Amino acid sequence: MATTTKRKALLISSELCIGCRGCQTACKNWNQLPGQKTTNTGTMQNPPDISATTYNIIRFSEVPSQANAVRWLFVSRMCMHCDDAGCMKICSAPGALYKTEQGAVAFNKDKCTGCKLCVAACPFDVPRYDAQNKIGKCDLCSGRIAEGLSPACAKTCPTGAIKFGDRADLIASAKKSGYGKVYGETDLGGLGAIYAFRDAPRIYGMNESPAIPESVIFWHNVLKPLAIIGLGGVVAGALIHYAAIGPHKDEEVK
Amino acid sequence: MGEMVRKASPEEIINHWILAISCLLLIITGYAFLFKLTQIGAVFGGFNGMRVVHNWAGVVFTVSLFATLFNYLHESLTFDADDWTWIKMGGGYLSRSAKKAPPMGKLNTGQKFYYLAVMAAGIAIAASGFGIWLVSGSRMITLVSHLVHNLAFILFVVAVPAHAYMGTLANPGTFRIMVYGTVPIEFARKKYPKWMKEIGKL
Repeated sequence: MATTTKRKALLISSELCIGCRGCQTACKNWNQLPGQKTTNTGTMQNPPDISATTYNIIRFSEVPSQANAVRWLFVSRMCMHCDDAGCMKICSAPGALYKTEQGAVAFNKDKCTGCKLCVAACPFDVPRYDAQNKIGKCDLCSGRIAEGLSPACAKTCPTGAIKFGDRADLIASAKKSGYGKVYGETDLGGLGAIYAFRDAPRIYGMNESPAIPESVIFWHNVLKPLAIIGLGGVVAGALIHYAAIGPHKDEEVK
Repeated sequence: MGEMVRKASPEEIINHWILAISCLLLIITGYAFLFKLTQIGAVFGGFNGMRVVHNWAGVVFTVSLFATLFNYLHESLTFDADDWTWIKMGGGYLSRSAKKAPPMGKLNTGQKFYYLAVMAAGIAIAASGFGIWLVSGSRMITLVSHLVHNLAFILFVVAVPAHAYMGTLANPGTFRIMVYGTVPIEFARKKYPKWMKEIGKL
């Protein structure tokens, strides 16, 4: 996959997040998405998950330990904008999912056929479908970033927990700040949403080894070529047979 | 042409045409989905239209496929020593002249295998197709359906063109069965002696 020097990313620093959910509101505002009716289940996390009309949420994780009885972690969750994206790999509708110049995985509802294969192929359980059976997810505010603006979530974040910029610069700055490993630096060809964690990513509710499902990779690398070779082989075989041996004849009948 | 013998009933002929046309439509649109062929999508007014055509052609195909069970399943599951001889000599249909083939019934060994393979792959591709279309909320079902649908697709794109070639250009005189359902009695006696004996025309 082409990784241009212009590739942009979001750097999420969980330690800086105060859980204000300004990013959720800004996202709804910019993308003109309606609010969702939810019920109080005793957690600050609301809405409970991303949806076709909620492109990002703050995930609240309570991780009490002996040393720290009140440990509360806030992580912004949205589309990870994989370089090698499972959704794009499996999608059967041209133009429904596409990569922007800045490296965002964007979508076009008109081109989406509603087959939902992308849901199964995404390593991060991101794609959602709206009432019209069309995909809805974070597109890294591709309209804004194409014009040199920050995504709405990063623009509004008051603490710098969500930073937007050149991906390489963000990784370098995170490492300079003492983060040994940046989550998403190399997974799936490098994610467009990278995370600086003080602790193991799984504590923050992250998948530690995200990957496109094996069956999708097998289908892409083996079955797709085989579909061409198979048909081509039979057609070529028939042509050669017809030219070299010719039709079967029953002398007694003719 | 002299005396004719009916090999396929009008119902069989009509059903075979329905099966063939829906299958061809599914293969063409299937390739278009597989490789995002926008030119083919344009024929159906875009991929949304093509998806509707693909799904409903799949319904027609499934119904038509199950309708064939009444006509060919029993015969296709009946094998004897002649079938073994037939396999060993490879049927002889791809050679220029008539080799001495063992006597066959209404379907020859190759046709029985073809029927069973298409039936098995047909059930797999139909079930997995409905799995992709109608089941949502299970990642597992979608992924397995996607894999099975594509595996069965490969069998179809190999077997169907081979079947079409064998039934037309490779064996003159065969295609008329799909159109008229009848063949000259001499042809039938030579190709299907066991069946002709059964119906008392040998």
